Amino acid sequence: MKKSLRKQIIRDRVLYLMLLPTFLYFLIFHVWPIFEMRLAFYDYRIIGDNIFVGWKHFKTLFSTPAFYTIIKNTLIISFMKIVLFFPFPVMFALALNELRSGVFRKGVQIISYLPHFLSWVVIAGIWYEFLSPSSGLVMDIVSAFGGERTNLLTNKNSILWVLFASSTWRSMGWDSIVYLSAILGIETSLYEAARMDGASRLQIIWYLILPALAGSMVTVLILNVGFVMSAGYDQILNFSNDAVLSRVDILDTYVYRIGLLQGQYSFATAANLFKGAIGTIMILLTHFTSKKLTGHGAW
Amino acid sequence: MKKFKKISIGMILLRAVMLLVALTMLIPILNLLAKSISNPANVPSMKGYQIWPSGFDLIHYQLIFRNQVVWTALKNSLFVTIVGVIFNILFTTSAAYALTRPNLVGKRAIMVFLIIMMIFEPGIIQEYFVMKDIHLLDNLWSMVFYRTVSVYNLILLMRFFSETPEALLEAAKIDGAGHVRILFEIFLPINKAPILTVGMFYAVYRWNEFFHSSIFLSSRGNTVLQVFLRQFVVEGDTTALSALGTIDLSSISITSLRAATIIITMVPILLLYPLILKYYTGDVLSGGVKE
Repeated sequence: MKKSLRKQIIRDRVLYLMLLPTFLYFLIFHVWPIFEMRLAFYDYRIIGDNIFVGWKHFKTLFSTPAFYTIIKNTLIISFMKIVLFFPFPVMFALALNELRSGVFRKGVQIISYLPHFLSWVVIAGIWYEFLSPSSGLVMDIVSAFGGERTNLLTNKNSILWVLFASSTWRSMGWDSIVYLSAILGIETSLYEAARMDGASRLQIIWYLILPALAGSMVTVLILNVGFVMSAGYDQILNFSNDAVLSRVDILDTYVYRIGLLQGQYSFATAANLFKGAIGTIMILLTHFTSKKLTGHGAW
Repeated sequence: MKKFKKISIGMILLRAVMLLVALTMLIPILNLLAKSISNPANVPSMKGYQIWPSGFDLIHYQLIFRNQVVWTALKNSLFVTIVGVIFNILFTTSAAYALTRPNLVGKRAIMVFLIIMMIFEPGIIQEYFVMKDIHLLDNLWSMVFYRTVSVYNLILLMRFFSETPEALLEAAKIDGAGHVRILFEIFLPINKAPILTVGMFYAVYRWNEFFHSSIFLSSRGNTVLQVFLRQFVVEGDTTALSALGTIDLSSISITSLRAATIIITMVPILLLYPLILKYYTGDVLSGGVKE
């Protein structure tokens, strides 16, 4: 038995060689840095060995009031991007489906998928102009209705809605694809049966299409909750400014700022490790929940 | 009769709403395009909905392309994207092939390892230190090696590879073809569409990456386009303009200059976009209920 196992491995040696580059990549650029995150338990020294300090940095972290603000910000922004955003792609897919085939529908689809492929730097550039108090479309409309031109990007009360709107703008179309393909999977005979029974379009949506989408909806919602600890730093880095930092500072931007910009490596690593640990638990939890409920997991 | 009328009003409303959604996505982009090619003197008075240029002037594009930093950044972005995607495809396809061969000893353990890699991301501070330790800081190769394999894309490819009919392989094996030949001569041609799809996802990711680039690549000679754009547009740093030499700043529009930089950064994505639509969203795009 053992001998045949070895024989198999020798027989497949080329296959292992083919896996080697991928394995080496993860070892150097993934496993090694993760291993180095043990710095969270040490004091960083520029010269000489780091000093082991146990949970010191975590204790400091949990007694820092700013840390709780950052957790709160992360959770609020995640909630907006996961729960509030959730109905938009569903409604968009339903609406697209009602349009049936044709140039108009295709045009809407082509336009709505595009923002997903733009970087957050480009999107921020577009939105800065879009929201510009002096020349942007949004403020042009506001002032046409008698409102006052303001800068929504530097306003603490509006910045979260700017984040929400821009991320909906970017993802609504693309995220509707999963629902649209689920709709395409519905048997044509079911539609015919429903029509024979005299069902209206709204009734078809409510009693036939929405139940068919339930599985995908549960999967998407649960799996997105797994990413609750990452509220999208690449967006926030491009939309934050000093005026609104207290509202949009999340775990990732905090780690970046106090770690790489201010050089508090150990402390920032502790925050990062905390985020990674909770994040991993959440992803595993949501994966297995979703797998059990819907048969579809994150991988 | 009344019911029929009700439905068509609903249909008009629906179309109106969808048109509005599409315009919300399109107008800001077209507005930027219009401002980038307008006469600088007219730009300050242009409205947010204006999607046609006010006067025509390519001076902002000329200015940008006269800037050496832009050429360097463009060249670097292309290098990282093209070389990076070649590595992406080579690593991902060979791993996907090996992992979909039947009876591979240790497959389960390897998959568990890969999934752990997918779930637990290393921290940015340690990624920086590792790049420093292997002397790749401020070297474009750091960004080529960064994200060489995405487990998500690997699993996506494995799904397609495992559907390749075994009968095809048997014939090749009888001919005495090795794994490398089977991969290149049978798997790659058959799975052209999924490999292209994965390649495009990698390419878009690489072109759009700005965060790690801004951390790993510190010198101006190694900057990439997204980082340049971020400094200029998001952080409002106009020192890059000094490289433009002796120009009269009052004769140009900073808004247009920003707009033109954004448009230039978008161009490669727009060029790839038709392929993405064709290969990835093909069925939902051409779909719809056949009537």
